[in-house]
Amino acid sequence: MSPPSTTLLTTAARAVNATKLYGQGDSAVRALDGVSVEFARGAFTAIMGPSGSGKSTLLHCLAGLDTLTSGEVYIADTPISGMSDNDLTLLRRDRLGFVFQTYNLVPTLTAAENIELPLRLAGRRADPAWFETVVGAVGLARRLRHTPAELSGGQQQRVAAARALITRPEILFADEPTGALDSRSGAELLAFLRRAADEFGQTIVMVTHDPLAAARADRVVFLADGRIVDDMIRPGADGILDAMKKLGG
Amino acid sequence: MLRVALKGLAARKLRLVLTAISIALGVSFVTGTFVLGDTMTATFDKMYSDLGQGTDVTVRGRPAFTDTTTLGSGRAMPEAVVDTVRKVPGVAAAEGGLTGYALMLDKSGTPIQPGGAPTLGVSYAQDRGLAGAIAPRAGRGPSGPGETAIDAATARKYGFAPGDRIRIVFESGKPAEFTVAGVLGFGDADNLAGATLAAFDLRTAQTVLRMEGKVDEISVRASDGISPDELRTRVAAVLPADLEAVTSATVAGEASKAVRDGLGFFTTAFLGFAGVSLLVGAFLIWNTFSILVAQRGREHALLRAIGARRRQLLGSVLTEAVAIGLLASALGLGLGLLVAGALRGLLASVGIDVPTTTIELQPRTVVAALVVGLGVTLAAALVPAWKATRIPPIAALRESAAPARTLPKGRIIAGGVLLVAGLPALAWAVAGPSRGGAAAIGSLATFLGLILLAPALVRPLVAVLGAPVARLGMAGALARQNAGRAPRRTASTATALMIGLAVVVAMTVVATSMKASVADVMERANRADLILKASSQLAAGIPADAADELRGLPEAGVVSPMRYGRIQVAGKTTSVAAVDPRTAEQVADIGVSSGSLPKLADGEVMVAADEAKTHGWRLGDEVTLRFPQTGDQVMRLAGTYTDTTLLGAGYLVTLAAHEANFSGRLDAVVLVRAAEGVPADDLKRSVRAALAGYPNVAVQDTDEFNAAQSATVDQLLGLVNVLLGLAVLIALLGVVNTLALSVLERTRELGLLRAVGMTRRQVRACVRWEAVLVAAIGSVLGTVLGLALGTAAARALADEGITVLQVPVALPLVYAVAAAAAGVLAAITPARKAAKVDVLRAVVAE
Ligand SMILES: Nc1ncnc2c1ncn2[C@@H]1O[C@H](COP(=O)(O)OP(=O)(O)OP(=O)(O)O)[C@@H](O)[C@H]1O
Ligand SMILES: [Mg+2]
Repeated sequence: MSPPSTTLLTTAARAVNATKLYGQGDSAVRALDGVSVEFARGAFTAIMGPSGSGKSTLLHCLAGLDTLTSGEVYIADTPISGMSDNDLTLLRRDRLGFVFQTYNLVPTLTAAENIELPLRLAGRRADPAWFETVVGAVGLARRLRHTPAELSGGQQQRVAAARALITRPEILFADEPTGALDSRSGAELLAFLRRAADEFGQTIVMVTHDPLAAARADRVVFLADGRIVDDMIRPGADGILDAMKKLGG
Repeated sequence: MLRVALKGLAARKLRLVLTAISIALGVSFVTGTFVLGDTMTATFDKMYSDLGQGTDVTVRGRPAFTDTTTLGSGRAMPEAVVDTVRKVPGVAAAEGGLTGYALMLDKSGTPIQPGGAPTLGVSYAQDRGLAGAIAPRAGRGPSGPGETAIDAATARKYGFAPGDRIRIVFESGKPAEFTVAGVLGFGDADNLAGATLAAFDLRTAQTVLRMEGKVDEISVRASDGISPDELRTRVAAVLPADLEAVTSATVAGEASKAVRDGLGFFTTAFLGFAGVSLLVGAFLIWNTFSILVAQRGREHALLRAIGARRRQLLGSVLTEAVAIGLLASALGLGLGLLVAGALRGLLASVGIDVPTTTIELQPRTVVAALVVGLGVTLAAALVPAWKATRIPPIAALRESAAPARTLPKGRIIAGGVLLVAGLPALAWAVAGPSRGGAAAIGSLATFLGLILLAPALVRPLVAVLGAPVARLGMAGALARQNAGRAPRRTASTATALMIGLAVVVAMTVVATSMKASVADVMERANRADLILKASSQLAAGIPADAADELRGLPEAGVVSPMRYGRIQVAGKTTSVAAVDPRTAEQVADIGVSSGSLPKLADGEVMVAADEAKTHGWRLGDEVTLRFPQTGDQVMRLAGTYTDTTLLGAGYLVTLAAHEANFSGRLDAVVLVRAAEGVPADDLKRSVRAALAGYPNVAVQDTDEFNAAQSATVDQLLGLVNVLLGLAVLIALLGVVNTLALSVLERTRELGLLRAVGMTRRQVRACVRWEAVLVAAIGSVLGTVLGLALGTAAARALADEGITVLQVPVALPLVYAVAAAAAGVLAAITPARKAAKVDVLRAVVAE
């Protein structure tokens, strides 16, 4: 199962023989079992697989939120294992973006402040033009002064997406970003991610359970029991459903 | 439910201990004070009963009134009374004794001046059966005019042994030299409650104490079969009216009572500090429980949903409070034993030596520890616990259990009313002198009002104080937001600090005003160039001969001694000053408003104008003064004066009148003014040379005097601030606790921040700035409140000699900045915890 070959220059991130064990000895859980995968620059990739297959674990390890037991993760050509907590933090802040399933926003900050958060942490201000572009793209221009508690779940996720994009990250990671949303809000968010990929050339890696969501991606990677079991380019909803059936059955 | 509560406790051991400590510190002050008091009382009781051993009845002058300050100042009686008593049937032995002033000098000639205790010169009982527990440890009793025996403590500390020569100063005369014949022990003790003692045979004692042919006490022993009471009755029957016979039990009882009364002030003061600490601790408990209840809102709602009743919920929270209270009591009791030791050291440092014996831990102390520890904790936890029961079961289903709460109307109204009433009262108290009532009421009302309204002040204060912090970057901005997001929590944490700091600052204002007042009095009322005092603050005074010596100096134009005594007027004990009317006005201006000081005669008294007004006296009226030794004396009111600050007394008589009514012959102060044309420095030099033989006299010009007075006030202030520092420390513990709980509460948020790029250093900075902000709010409120209360208090104490109000600026600022900076220390642990938050927790939690 070889992923499409790409040159180093066009690889935004890759995992080489990534293995992650939880626990020790006989009771150890092998959440990732020798995963090697590359994510091309500018591509929108979806990761799918049954519950417990290791999707979140892979994403966390790619994003420097968690460490591998063995193997290596590269962001562009930077290996991240062995990086100090501080370097990892700066990597996340300056080069990566995230959208989690829930709880993406600091409750005391307004939407605008949340969006600017990574930049402010770096002691910088947003480029006003880019800020407007991003905010316009997520359709939040009139909600900027609201606190998260005053926003709907869908709006909150869009604020999170805007926050993830404000630093022009090399890769945007999203773990089931539509998981807690109704279908309409989910569709809006996906449309936004799609536009980000198309218009800004944003590299996106998104974990999802939803075949319709995965269908908006350029590529779908399937995980099962910590291994990559399938890797398709623009499979379409039908192809995804077929693959899921295969895994399920 | 008990299980749920106890399980919850076990899971939070550290916080439990931290919370308990805040109360335990206050409790330890209470128990420490009790333990020390009981230990001292027991020690002195034993000592006095030991001293009275073998003596059944004591004959002494009957004091006209008794009061701790007059105890033992009975008037001397002719030695012939001893024979009269000896002849009473049933008397086995009777011996007269004398007690007076004798100041020993160490081998280098420096006076051996114990802190608060007297320097005694006594006669040595020949009948050893009447000597009580006093017995030679080395050598023998003194005999003949050249011998003395000294207490074992002095002998040990200053290296005297039998055969050595020792110089001793008496009320009159230069030092005389004696041979140490023996070293005396007092039962197990080395001295009498810290006093130094030099014993002489009776004849010698009468000579050196200037009591020829007199004794001031007769110790009597009964023959077999005669009870002390019976003997007392028989002896009393032969005594003249101005003498009395009392049993040893009475004497010992009086002495113990005097010690207890003397300690009363310290007990009250220490309990006052304990009160401040407990108040601060109570805030902490209240805060901790409020946070716990808020954090457990969902858990409680769930318990309610599955059928727990309100009472059960209340019980479960209160169980936790009981556990904390019990822990606090136990810790406090243990710590109290240490505190007792520390307090004893503190007393020793101000000169009050307490003999070491076994520590007295009475059941009452244990009960007090339990009642205070449990009581304060439960009282402070009650409101939060009650709130826990108000959580509706539906809250279990809501996303956020703790909605933003606003201050209840009742609280705002109550706080507002208190402030509206308190501030004008304070202003009124500041506007005029001696408005004690207004100062007290205003202080209390303002204090309580501020506590009630503090949450409302938090947001504006955070906005202002946080502005520079927010400019430091995102960590600062977040810190500002966090400090303002739970105003009540921030307020109660800051309030705890406010209380401690307010008291410290208020004390400082009073102390600074006190110093300024001393300087002002010297400036305004003093006309002397030199002030002579005993070199120890606590010494009885200086020998009268010193003044006589100076009168012979050509450089000294005026030499005017002052003496003091305690009298009763209309049943109230007060001070009387005595001066030489011919010279007094040349050295001091007491603001005579009627009559004439130089014309004051021996049968006359001058009275402070206020005092005369209260009693409704007019010039020429007959005024009755009750002296302890001579009883009621009728004196003519010859004048009034308005400035009592230099004199420090509301009554003024002549030196001759003082000598006629008091047995003491020491001058408290001697004021000296240079002769015409003599420079002050020349005067000082020659006075010092003339008094070389009086080692216990301090010669100070007004600057030196002011400096010495300031130093004393500073020392006292330092002591008080150390004790109050405890309350501030507890308040900082509160900051630690609150922050730790807040960090716990914000685990997810912290994880999120870390995920999007907040470095550990930034997380720590954020928590630290939050701590500094909370502490700064407490500092600002505490400083402002302290300045207001201190100003009012200083004004209210105008009658006590604080005539000048001086508000210090630098010191409160230093305190405030230090307290805010201490927030950094308080933040260390919570900040570290926050920085260690697992990043993934934010992503995967729930
Ligand atoms: N902190 C942990 N400790 C122990 N085991 C863990 C931990 N986190 C994940 N696992 C285990 O690792 C495996 C992979 O988990 P992961 O969360 O990556 O799955 P997932 O594919 O994201 O599942 P889902 O679709 O349910 O989110 C699972 O078996 C899980 O039980
Ligand atoms: Mg997952």
